[in-house]
Amino acid sequence: MAVKRQLSMVLDLNKCIGCHTCTSACKLQWTNRNGREYMYWNNVETRPGTGYPKNFHEMGGGFDQDGALRLGKEPSAEDYGVPWEYNYEEALMTGTDPWLRPNVKPTWGANWDEDEGEGHYPNSYYFYLPRLCNHCENPACLAACSRNAIYKRQEDGIVLIDQERCRGYRYCVSACPYKKVYFNEEISKSEKCIFCYPRIEKGLPTACAKQCVGRIRWIGYRDDKDGPIHTLVDKYKVALPLYPEMGTKPNVFYVPPLSPPKIDEAGGAMAESRVPLDYLESLFGDGVSAALDTITAERAKKAEGGESELMDTLIGYRHAEMFKLS
Amino acid sequence: MRRTIATLTAFAMLSTPTLSAAQSMAEANVKLIEAYDTVKVSTIPDGIYLRTVNDPDDIIWERLPEYRVAMSPAPAVHESVELRVNYDAEVSYLNMTLAKTSERFYVRLRWVDDTRDTATAFDRFRDGVAVQFSLGDDETSYMMGDGPDSAVNIWYWRSGEDAVQNLAAGGPGSTTLLEEQPVSGESQYFDKDGDPNEWTVVMSRPIKAQGAHNVSLDRDVVPMAFALWQGAEKQRDGLKSVSEGWIMLDMASE
Repeated sequence: MAVKRQLSMVLDLNKCIGCHTCTSACKLQWTNRNGREYMYWNNVETRPGTGYPKNFHEMGGGFDQDGALRLGKEPSAEDYGVPWEYNYEEALMTGTDPWLRPNVKPTWGANWDEDEGEGHYPNSYYFYLPRLCNHCENPACLAACSRNAIYKRQEDGIVLIDQERCRGYRYCVSACPYKKVYFNEEISKSEKCIFCYPRIEKGLPTACAKQCVGRIRWIGYRDDKDGPIHTLVDKYKVALPLYPEMGTKPNVFYVPPLSPPKIDEAGGAMAESRVPLDYLESLFGDGVSAALDTITAERAKKAEGGESELMDTLIGYRHAEMFKLS
Repeated sequence: MRRTIATLTAFAMLSTPTLSAAQSMAEANVKLIEAYDTVKVSTIPDGIYLRTVNDPDDIIWERLPEYRVAMSPAPAVHESVELRVNYDAEVSYLNMTLAKTSERFYVRLRWVDDTRDTATAFDRFRDGVAVQFSLGDDETSYMMGDGPDSAVNIWYWRSGEDAVQNLAAGGPGSTTLLEEQPVSGESQYFDKDGDPNEWTVVMSRPIKAQGAHNVSLDRDVVPMAFALWQGAEKQRDGLKSVSEGWIMLDMASE
């Protein structure tokens, strides 16, 4: 879908510390009220892991090889995790309840499998994967909407749901292979990440990017040859889309994580990396190996005191250079 | 106003022979209506009132002729519907009673539904029924109209709330909530021992219309069509069963 300009985001998974500050920023700004309590427009999940909602990658959606919509599943409340609250007032203030307890029995939540990962010591591994709406070039949610309620803004490619037109059919929820469209039961309409467009329109980065303590996020226009997105995605090709085979052409890109070598029984370093390459390729496609090689080479260059435009970009010295919003 | 035995008896004599409440949906003498058949709209005489404006279980309904139409899966007009539609689904029937007073037009709809689906929640959908009127004649597409100049007026009821939505459409995907909301309704779900469970829904509107997309009922012939959504089958939007073609309401009959 051709738009005049496309805002994009790059996230460097080597820098993510899994602190959830992005998620908290997003939640406080947009989703802590009015039927959105269960939603995480931005979430951080542990990989390998089930993701959020649970096993979303096995729920279908997206497009097939011929570009036709694929049927997807609508997640259940349990797949997301039913949000719970604690009786702080009764247990801690008035003393009318002797127990501090949640109001529903927690059985699953967005980070139920946090930090579990896979493998056995000393070769156990995991990393964090922050996720938000990919504001795709070919959004499956948009294609799936029979109401033309979903549109992609010409000026920046942000994908939005027209709340006036939405009638809550939820084809979009099941069509999104990333499960980043959510159904609001209170208003019977679907809602999603809006890429903080009211902030973008004021020249501010999204809340998740601005609040990121690891400084892992870059925002800019894809066509800005001097901007960070072009540098990371197009020039050095170190930032890759998640599940590119779903056919939606995401505009959120990830720098895949490097990892130390696996250790053999004698304690020696093996040739294989701790995070298996085939696992990373199952997430980010064929470009992983080349991306990791490029980062390794540029990192070595910088470590030896040489110049590296890529490393300077990835370090993210100044917010002004990380967020190029004009 | 309270009804007396005398007025009821008189009213019963005015009416055509009718069904008793005990008779089931499969009753053969509920006349099957086909596309472009004309159906007379019964007149409820002045002075006879339903217990409440849209009482679905009022004794009046037993004294008015009931008709039925065959309902089949609507042809998919969008990829999302095409992916889900089951054209092999069994044909179902929608029973209807049509009536008017000097002030209001009523439609009472009755259909078999094993499950009462009244919640819009994760992966759950509500039962619903809609009637559609051509703003013009029967040249308008009965598949939700075709374009802004060939539009339809839709009254949409969904379970769990008795507010009837007054909508307009000019082709699939264009359904729009109208500013004027003059349609009211009431429903009842009959959980029957032995017999199939049924929804009964009454919708009504003053005969005098206001607003460009509100169907004029103040004319001799009004084309009408029907749609049904089974929540348990995750039906919504174009995933529905529909009657074929228009049914022509004869509004002038007394």
